[in-house]
Amino acid sequence: MIDVFTLDLLRNYLLAGAALFILGMLGFLSRRNLIVMFLSAEMMLQGTALTLVAFGRYHGNLTGQVFTIVILTVAACEASIALALIVILYNQRSSLDVTLWQDIREEGVPATPQMQEEAEAEPIEPVPGPESYPILTPAGIEPAHPVQPWLERRK
Amino acid sequence: MSTGQVILATLVVLLGAGGSYLLLPHRHGATRSRNVHAAGAVLVSLGLLGFLTFWSPPSPFLAGLFFYLFSIGALVGGLLTVTSRNPIYSALWFASVVLSTAGLFLLAGAQFLAAGTVIVYAGAIIVTFLFVIMLAQMEGKALYDRAARAPASATFTCFLLFWCLLYILGPLHPQQAPETSEGHAQQFAEKSLVRGRNLADFYRLPENHPGRAVLAHSQRPTSALRDASGAEKPDVAGLGEALYSDHLVTVELAGTLLFVALIAAVAITGPKRPVRPGEPAGDAALKT
Repeated sequence: MIDVFTLDLLRNYLLAGAALFILGMLGFLSRRNLIVMFLSAEMMLQGTALTLVAFGRYHGNLTGQVFTIVILTVAACEASIALALIVILYNQRSSLDVTLWQDIREEGVPATPQMQEEAEAEPIEPVPGPESYPILTPAGIEPAHPVQPWLERRK
Repeated sequence: MSTGQVILATLVVLLGAGGSYLLLPHRHGATRSRNVHAAGAVLVSLGLLGFLTFWSPPSPFLAGLFFYLFSIGALVGGLLTVTSRNPIYSALWFASVVLSTAGLFLLAGAQFLAAGTVIVYAGAIIVTFLFVIMLAQMEGKALYDRAARAPASATFTCFLLFWCLLYILGPLHPQQAPETSEGHAQQFAEKSLVRGRNLADFYRLPENHPGRAVLAHSQRPTSALRDASGAEKPDVAGLGEALYSDHLVTVELAGTLLFVALIAAVAITGPKRPVRPGEPAGDAALKT
């Protein structure tokens, strides 16, 4: 019996799944926004699901699809818990920045060498723009002034 | 894998890595000019073009066309999800990734999963949207959206893994079973990935070999894509049969997992009892 789903076709799916997994991993490792990290983790799951479905089709059984259904379940659980954690973390520091949480340690525990390096590093130059403006107590009515959006300041 | 293919894989990985490094946010949040972004986009598209040469076009024209459409859509959407400065755009591009993956599921003959993925992830993306609107700062103004965490080493790690995967998947090609010794048969089986139902014939196992019994037990007819007469089962019916006969414990476990996650999410976010004057605050009240 000749199967229409050939090895070459399987290889296409495996390559596409691998590329999706890599992109998700790149986002998870390099982005600092908690929500974008969550989306990247979901993308890694998508790549894996693609691989499983293709393997199941190649071997002529439905086990790959059953595995993918389990992955969907785990992804739903992961989404609910991750979003609950994001809410908790946001309430504590008022920011979605994940690097704010990299120095969690108990009192009395010495800092790791990497953290000492970071403490000795050159201060980051403030980006000229709305973030570097001094924060003043607002008084009176805001005068009319031209506001240039941040996105348009880029050359 | 031939030398030419190794060189091509290295080139594809280098182009992709360089392009995605340029497209990712700067380490300290410095603004990148449009020219740098354009250069990154050009590098990434060259890498994607090189990556396309690793694929072999599927045989019917229309199926091949849709395969390329969906997979390129998934990859481009994935890259833009990762590199968008604004989390709203990230969520939108992730929606395109999910739709493309659902299309690929359809092409692989998994209709139920295609529909299920779209339905489940549509809900997930709407919830993510709500969170972005609630919590994130708009217009990509926040510093943590414009700065990446160690982008160079992250790109290096990811694309090193990508190169390894290309190196493994590249030499997969259909080959005839050789008339040689056991050791050679093993090698060819690994390179041409013998299908599960052909394993016994491939290794020429005799009728009373214990391996045959194990193989027959592992390939249950309830999980097969085709029934005994060789006709293809309807997808949803076959999936239901496989789920509720062979994987019944898995279904129960998945249900339990969902229930546990529900309890965990409620326990994590549950509102704290306010501290009233005259009562010990916070942890002290819990301990007594």
